[in-house]
Amino acid sequence: MRYKDEVIRSMKRLSYNENTVFLGQWFGTNKETLVEVPENKKIEMPVAEDMQMGISIGMALDGFIPVSCFTRWNFLLLAANQLVNHLDKLSEMSNGGYKPKLIIRTSVGATKPVDSRCQHTSDFTEGFKAILRNVEVITLIEPEEVFPAYLKALYREDGKSTLLVEYGTSYNDK
Amino acid sequence: MIAQELIDFEREIADLYNAQQIHSAIHLHSGGEDALIKIFKGIRKQDWVLCSWRAHYQCLLKGVPREKLKAAVVAGKSMHLCFPKYRILSSGIVGGTLPIATGLALGIKRRSEDSVVHCFIGDMTSETGIAHECMKYAKGFDLPVKFYVEDNGLSAGSDTKKVWGIQQLTNPPTFSYEMGRYAHAGTDGKRVF
Repeated sequence: MRYKDEVIRSMKRLSYNENTVFLGQWFGTNKETLVEVPENKKIEMPVAEDMQMGISIGMALDGFIPVSCFTRWNFLLLAANQLVNHLDKLSEMSNGGYKPKLIIRTSVGATKPVDSRCQHTSDFTEGFKAILRNVEVITLIEPEEVFPAYLKALYREDGKSTLLVEYGTSYNDK
Repeated sequence: MIAQELIDFEREIADLYNAQQIHSAIHLHSGGEDALIKIFKGIRKQDWVLCSWRAHYQCLLKGVPREKLKAAVVAGKSMHLCFPKYRILSSGIVGGTLPIATGLALGIKRRSEDSVVHCFIGDMTSETGIAHECMKYAKGFDLPVKFYVEDNGLSAGSDTKKVWGIQQLTNPPTFSYEMGRYAHAGTDGKRVF
């Protein structure tokens, strides 16, 4: 069982659901892990992180289950407004009337064999676990953790979204 | 609904606020009633309406019952009024609704639904980066969303053009995106609550 293979298997499984749609920029790990996702399920986005997160929320309000991909935690930070001020608050703002369900992917860049340096290798997981109330943050370290976590994100019915953090080191070593 | 009914609602809310019956921030319209009434004649039940923190008029015109809206405002919800039954979503964050409106429209288009998204923003919001991104994306993919700029010249207390150092808003009149809009629908200086 290899880490990358499990991510590919997870994305393929998510794509079976008629409501899922994948958003992000298709290069690097994003592109490589979506190879078995049908093209009509993928929407390549411009680099506009907060807009991408907001668009994902809007699509979720319309009944889709967006799988919104952000290549690095450092990049996802640029979508913090929509993540914290909107996705995490919409249920409270609407007395439970709006419960968009998103599956958010991000990754902590590897430091070996190539070090992506400080703007691509930050891990803000613990900070956002403290901030978010309606978005569960799950770290994916081991290969066997990957598939069950994505299935949980897909099928959960507690009104929460899920932010899954992948690790470049795990891609390389496991 | 006529303009005077809208004005009367804001007056009642202002009186409640001044009597310390509302313990949250509120933002009131003063002007623009006729323009909004005209716009809402073209907005249908199945259409979405996304607003800012100043949304009482839009809620009333979309069909939210007066007393239901009043109860929400008194309960402290004025800054982010949301009524799923009426397809209304508001946000107290500058530019917050623009990408959500764009995403709703993208979903509507992908499913070929008979619905349009109407997104109301202020003049300061219209100058932000997120506004330009969303309008560019919506136009590029011909999405069923209209953005309306309620231009009262102010962002809360800040003079929009002065703080940007510009003589006129990018939109209007020189905005390059051909989106629905109307100008000067906000404070007219004649009514002070």
